[in-house]
Amino acid sequence: MTTLISSNRSRGVKNSLARWFITLGGISVLFTLVLIFLYLLYVVKPVFESAEIENNVNISLQLVNSEKVLATGVDELQEVAYQINDAGTINFYHLKSSTKGVNKAFNLGDVALSQSLLESDDFAEKKITSIVDSFSENKLIHTVAGKTLLVAPSFFASYEKDIREIIPQVNYPLGQDALIIDEQEMPLSKLSFAMNDELIVFVGFTEDNRLIKTTYIAEDDFGSSNDGYDVEYETVFQEIDFEHHVDEVHVTPDLNLAFIRSDSTVYVYDLNEEYDAELKATITPTLKNSDTYLTSMALLSGSSSVLLGDSSGRVSQWFEVATDNGRQFKQIRTFETDNDNKLSNAITAIHTERFRKSFYTMTNSGLVNVFYTTSDAHLWQGQLVNAATEAFAIAPRSNGLITVSKDSANNINLQTFSVTNEHPEVTWQALWQEVWYEGYPEPDYVWQSTSGSDDFEGKFSLVPISFGTVKAALYAMLFAVPIALTAAIYTAYFMTPAMRKKVKPTIEMMEALPTVILGFLAGLWLAPIMEEYLPAIFLLFFFLPLATLITAFAWHNLPNEWKEKIPETLAPLLLIPVLVLAIYLAFSLSGVLESTLFQGDMRQYLTNDLGIDFDQRNALVVGLAMGFAVIPTIFSMAEDAIFSVPSHLTSGSLALGATQWQTLAKVVLLTASPGIFSAVMMGLGRAVGETMIVLMATGNTPILDWSIFQGMRTLAANIAVEMPESEVGSSHYRILFLAAFVLFIFTFIFNTIAEFVRQRLREKYSSM
Amino acid sequence: MISITPKAQATGSETSFESKLDLTNLTPEQVALDINKLNLFYGKKQALNNISMSIPKGQVTAFIGPSGCGKSTLLRCINRMNDLVDDCHISGEINLHGNNIYNKHVDVAELRRKVGMVFQRPNPFPKTIYENVVYGLRIMGENNRRNLDEAVEKSLRSAALWNEVKDRLHESALGLSGGQQQRLVIARAIAIQPEVLLLDEPTSALDPISTLTIEELINDLKEQFTVVIVTHNMQQAARVSDQTAFMYMGDLIEYSDTNTLFTTPQKKKTEDYITGRYG
Repeated sequence: MTTLISSNRSRGVKNSLARWFITLGGISVLFTLVLIFLYLLYVVKPVFESAEIENNVNISLQLVNSEKVLATGVDELQEVAYQINDAGTINFYHLKSSTKGVNKAFNLGDVALSQSLLESDDFAEKKITSIVDSFSENKLIHTVAGKTLLVAPSFFASYEKDIREIIPQVNYPLGQDALIIDEQEMPLSKLSFAMNDELIVFVGFTEDNRLIKTTYIAEDDFGSSNDGYDVEYETVFQEIDFEHHVDEVHVTPDLNLAFIRSDSTVYVYDLNEEYDAELKATITPTLKNSDTYLTSMALLSGSSSVLLGDSSGRVSQWFEVATDNGRQFKQIRTFETDNDNKLSNAITAIHTERFRKSFYTMTNSGLVNVFYTTSDAHLWQGQLVNAATEAFAIAPRSNGLITVSKDSANNINLQTFSVTNEHPEVTWQALWQEVWYEGYPEPDYVWQSTSGSDDFEGKFSLVPISFGTVKAALYAMLFAVPIALTAAIYTAYFMTPAMRKKVKPTIEMMEALPTVILGFLAGLWLAPIMEEYLPAIFLLFFFLPLATLITAFAWHNLPNEWKEKIPETLAPLLLIPVLVLAIYLAFSLSGVLESTLFQGDMRQYLTNDLGIDFDQRNALVVGLAMGFAVIPTIFSMAEDAIFSVPSHLTSGSLALGATQWQTLAKVVLLTASPGIFSAVMMGLGRAVGETMIVLMATGNTPILDWSIFQGMRTLAANIAVEMPESEVGSSHYRILFLAAFVLFIFTFIFNTIAEFVRQRLREKYSSM
Repeated sequence: MISITPKAQATGSETSFESKLDLTNLTPEQVALDINKLNLFYGKKQALNNISMSIPKGQVTAFIGPSGCGKSTLLRCINRMNDLVDDCHISGEINLHGNNIYNKHVDVAELRRKVGMVFQRPNPFPKTIYENVVYGLRIMGENNRRNLDEAVEKSLRSAALWNEVKDRLHESALGLSGGQQQRLVIARAIAIQPEVLLLDEPTSALDPISTLTIEELINDLKEQFTVVIVTHNMQQAARVSDQTAFMYMGDLIEYSDTNTLFTTPQKKKTEDYITGRYG
């Protein structure tokens, strides 16, 4: 009697083991893909998040009732904050309790240091009228009596007992004595200054309505001492003719320009001349309606742009643009404060970040708005405090805010806020649309992620590099597809099997050639040759096919006795010397052609006479090199497809009296079309993702130009070039991940289209 | 033992009475193809040994023999399909209308238009039924719609397929059943009006009912064409052919009218084969 239960147990075990192993393998491949996809998204996601502001610490300040806070600030790590009041006292407060083991324990809100700034005998009347900020820690303190003092509240970290403690201190870069800004020592109603190591420029408006400019020229270096005792300088006093009253003054941090606002007009003075100040331009913004007027002005980080806020709540950004009539200030973009309350929107103050192009606006109603200029982003809107803000400052790392406000019960509160606003410069528009960057004549697609300068703003348009990817791939395909497909047709359909056995693996071996070798050959060897013998390259496009055709014709007409002497397998090898000869001829004609047609140098001729720019590493080089890399992929798959067209179909066609060519065109290519299409799309996918060749042979210029003589930068090469130097977690880093994601999507789209079309073709033309 | 002989007699006798020909002494008018001392080598291996025979016009001639005996090879020589095989050398001649088809001035494509061929496996192109039938005509440059339409109907009717496919001429030919596909292939072959139709085991991949249909079709086809059929099925040879050639190991062993060959074989090998002693 037989049983149906397997007698061989080990076979069953092997079966189920194999099944589990294969399932596991398949699932882990899928899982890895999904994981890569998710990781890319995870890194990219923060880029598109808008800003968040959260209240951190509230400290109630014990001040004498009459005292008014004029300025505030915080250290980089937001552990110690300070405020300066009009009595001339600076108080530092701890924003968190001490950790165990510190010498002197303290609690949140404890005063860390309290110091009077106006100690010198110069300051008889200890009453401050204004404190002027610059884009540094230096602050200018101006008293009622018209005395001025430069102070720099600063912080250093001590690591006693291995515990970090932030120690506040006050520096006086120019000493504790009063500085003379107005020659006539009148009090100033408006004052602004900017300094570098050699110069300090003050621009002020005196109470007797004189616009003055004062320059301190350091004998040595302002940065050499912290206490200011060693600094020696020369003072230059000037008066500027100005017939209006002054509402606001700003000197750019690079000491080049002064913006002076008088009502709704802004006068721009050139400060470059040490002994003179020349009116350079006037800015008269077109306002919403006749009731609207300018209410505030601020300089954007980087000293190029000025922001003008008006009574309707609109802020406009202006910078100099090269036009036909020279450089002119132009309104670039505007930012609206939308407020559904009927409260006034008038901008009372604009605060700009020190290193980025973000700014905060304050309105009458206490509404705070956060904008980023370049990306045109409105990042946040809301009420920070329900009281009148006396002082406001942005933390040095732009990740926090500090406000001092007085509520209705006259309690003065110091509050800190944490700001999560890592990537304000990245928006969908900034990545994919034209952006008007500072100093550019018009909006443009620009990729320029780094520069030598500190004021530099990253320009992250993905358009030029996506374009570069497509351009490189298309030029490569233009070269590769005809060659690979004709080669595949010849090998699969016409070549003798003996020859095919050698040719096919040889071409497939080409695929194993490291692309880095192709890349450097293209960049370092081919590109200079192509530049030198440019006409020869174009001649080759005609000579090679022509030489092949002539050889074929000659072979066809050769007497049979001759033909029989050469084995059929070796006959195609006859082409090799002919092609070599054609190449030699093209190169030797190159010089002649250049001197007769192109005035001696085709490259010069292209640039000078035709106005076509020529890069040594251009699309032609990339097309050839990457085409060379893609040919084996396309060839191998297309050859397989053509070769696997069932012979009963070809014999069916031949038996009906069709010639080889007719059979090829009407049956073979048709039946192989799904495979040929896949081959081309696989080639395209490879060209899009190819890195090393484009890295080395494109010149990596992120420009938007279809010209065959221009380079390009591709997504893949861009990632390879820039990833090593991008700071982890920065916008640049995340955008590179986004570029990777875009590349992923590119190949995903190409593969999906390929698969879809292939399925359709297969349904239609599949043979049995 | 297979009891084929009586059956063969029954079908074979009907036809052979009307058109019994003396195969050794045909008049030139009666000859469609004249094979003369044909030798074929695949590389160094000889596959056909000195074959000489005359195939009469307007009749069905069958080649039978065990696998590898060279019957298909001989058939493929008639329209030079062996040209496509590497290392294949041929000597001797095959005359069509007194012209040697192996003459070097012969246009092979033109020859194949006159000598059509249907293969073992149905091989319709991945095109519509209509396009399959007109393929040969289009190759010849015929593009007149009306002529093509006429040819399609005529060929499909001749191939006994018209009624089954007339409503779906523009659908893919790959949607037809195996038997229909084979008839479509026959329709395609006869659309260009060949003189000789070579059938290489046309029913070996088909079911019995389709086989029967094709066999009936072959009987009708000989009205218009000279038919040469290779079959491994002796009953089929007996049923459809007027003459039968028995081949063995590349030799033509016996060639006579079908009735004679199956009832009174002259050679021992033939008798052994048709009585099923080997094969």
